[in-house]
Amino acid sequence: MSTPREGSGSSERRGPVRAPQGVAGGILLIALAALALWLTRDLDQGTLNAMGPAMLPRWLAIGVGLSGLALIVFAFIRDGEPLERWSLRGPFFIIVAILAFAVTIRPFSFGPLAIPGLGLVAAGPLAIIIGGYATPEARFRDLLILSLSLTPFCMLLFGDLLNLPIPVFPQELAGLFPAGWSQRAILRVTAVVMAAAAVAVFFATRGPRNRTIDVADHSGRI
Amino acid sequence: MGDLLSNLSLGFGVALSLQNLFLAFLGCLVGTLIGVLPGVGPIATIAMLLPITFGFDPTGALIMLAGIYYGAQYGGSTTAILVNIPGEATSVVTALDGHEMARQGRAGVALGIAAIGSFFAGTVATIVIAALGAPLTGLALIFGPTEYFSLMVMGLVFAVVLARGSILKAVAMILVGVLLSTVGLDLETGEERMTFGLPFLSDGIDFAVLAMGIFGIAEIMRNLDHTEHREVVRQAIGRLLPNKEDFKQSYKPVLRGTFIGALLGILPGNGAVLGPFASYTLEKKIAKDPRRFGRGAIEGVAGPESANNAGAQTSFIPLLTLGIPPNAVMALMVGAMTIHGIIPGPQVMTKNPNLFWGMIASMWIGNLMLLVINLPMIGVWVRLLKVPYRMLFPAILMFCCIGIYSVNSLPTDVMFIALFGLVGYTLIKLGFEPAPMLLGFVLGKLMEENLRRALILSRGSLSTFIDHPISASLLAVAAILLIVALLPSIRRGRDEVFTE
Repeated sequence: MSTPREGSGSSERRGPVRAPQGVAGGILLIALAALALWLTRDLDQGTLNAMGPAMLPRWLAIGVGLSGLALIVFAFIRDGEPLERWSLRGPFFIIVAILAFAVTIRPFSFGPLAIPGLGLVAAGPLAIIIGGYATPEARFRDLLILSLSLTPFCMLLFGDLLNLPIPVFPQELAGLFPAGWSQRAILRVTAVVMAAAAVAVFFATRGPRNRTIDVADHSGRI
Repeated sequence: MGDLLSNLSLGFGVALSLQNLFLAFLGCLVGTLIGVLPGVGPIATIAMLLPITFGFDPTGALIMLAGIYYGAQYGGSTTAILVNIPGEATSVVTALDGHEMARQGRAGVALGIAAIGSFFAGTVATIVIAALGAPLTGLALIFGPTEYFSLMVMGLVFAVVLARGSILKAVAMILVGVLLSTVGLDLETGEERMTFGLPFLSDGIDFAVLAMGIFGIAEIMRNLDHTEHREVVRQAIGRLLPNKEDFKQSYKPVLRGTFIGALLGILPGNGAVLGPFASYTLEKKIAKDPRRFGRGAIEGVAGPESANNAGAQTSFIPLLTLGIPPNAVMALMVGAMTIHGIIPGPQVMTKNPNLFWGMIASMWIGNLMLLVINLPMIGVWVRLLKVPYRMLFPAILMFCCIGIYSVNSLPTDVMFIALFGLVGYTLIKLGFEPAPMLLGFVLGKLMEENLRRALILSRGSLSTFIDHPISASLLAVAAILLIVALLPSIRRGRDEVFTE
């Protein structure tokens, strides 16, 4: 990630940097170009007549680097945009949610860490509930109901109706059902159970005052 | 002419089959849905739904995906008029006068004229595609690698000129996009390029992953930065059918908007986005009383809405005839076609006439369906607008994960959408527009292939691009365009068009 506080103190547009956004963008481009040049350092460039694998990437990287340089130069000459405020909460929760989905959807091992494949039945709610906290207005009850109703919908749509090759539930779950049951039947029963849970949560927590959750909302932004 | 009619009747034969009708309807419905919902674009949606189409035959799959794209153009106007938030990028200008009309209690008329204008534009665009398809395909057959390369260079220059904001940044984004496309195995030598030694990168970066990350995930992150205020218009929507006076005022803008939109849509480099802006500017310029604009002028809705629908449809032309996707949505169409074993390009029309003409005919049918989906069912969409974003985005997030996982069954793909989402968010925050990058990425592989071939044919002489007359004139157009765009006076005009 590039540094959000690049050219600090220039937001009042008094310092030599007149377009902080341009400087940050330029640095990003130059870094990218340098990375590409470094990665293609061992490859053959070839000639125009018989281009090698490195010819195009190398020239493109040089072009990217030059654009970055030009952006930085212009940032000192012309007024431009200041850096926008970055919020970290949104990207953080979104990324964690996606990663949670990726590691739980099927067996995953990373070094000593091994996670059993839990399938959509766990990965879906995880993604929804973790991701939901990306906004400071998140309410656990709403997210729980959303995840318990949307996941069975997706299970039926993608797993049952459209037959997509997506793991739906962990194999351990199949052991809980009588031996004769087909995968489809287990899928459908699980979906119905989840949907019923969603309805149950909805009615059980529909108390006259569950607005207490709102109170903590306003300080959430980082 | 007789040819055209027989081709179209073949197309309608295909498109009117029960399955294809259903798929067109489904596509239009989903398209309207995502068009109405701000923050969900057609690019992310089509990327999400790609795996679903695996089970269909290619014609049906493409009919549905196309429906999503032009359906979104209809739906976007609903949000623009009722909430003053553009549901899609192309309905930004509709919000200006459309929302004003709604506040005056004429929401129904605005919605009505938008839908009727779009339908007219869609009909004309369908005919334009059908009529231009054959001659342009003929043109494509005389194109060699040299001409193809120059044509793509021109397309990228168009994308630069049409992008919002700094031209320098747009150029940088295009170069980054082409650079990203060179990741993976080298086509000729088989050597790995910039893969970090990772096996899943040796096939290159998957386009669906890149698009979903940059347009799906990054959009969510960006939307979360702005707390939105949705004020759905409280007034009654009122009658939907415009009266005689409304028609009199708006039929000329519709005609002009259709013409402008269709013309710009054909241009490689995402001209479709410019159509509504150009149409609005034109209507305002030639109006007797320009002050009415921004205060609920019906022309300001009729023109741009026709333009965006016409452009959305004619942007299929470069893809279907030349095999060159002019924007990111069309690039996803290339993905969908290759999944089904169809190589986009001039041979589609001769080898798969059913697909080519079926898709064109389905567009007209789709437009007719959209008229029904949008006007009588408007109440449903209004209710949908009341779903808050905090409930919407977790759902989008999960759909993105499921969609991208289903393409290759790889958890690494899912992780990559998080990475590209972060990259896209960083780019947006630094004032770079990601769309040109995606276009550069899409055209990158084709460009490298054609460049290498052209240079082998010419024995390494770069002058081949100037010696071939067609290639030389394409490059000249590109150069002139770039110079003109850089002229200070034009630049100011360009900025005006985009800020209006």
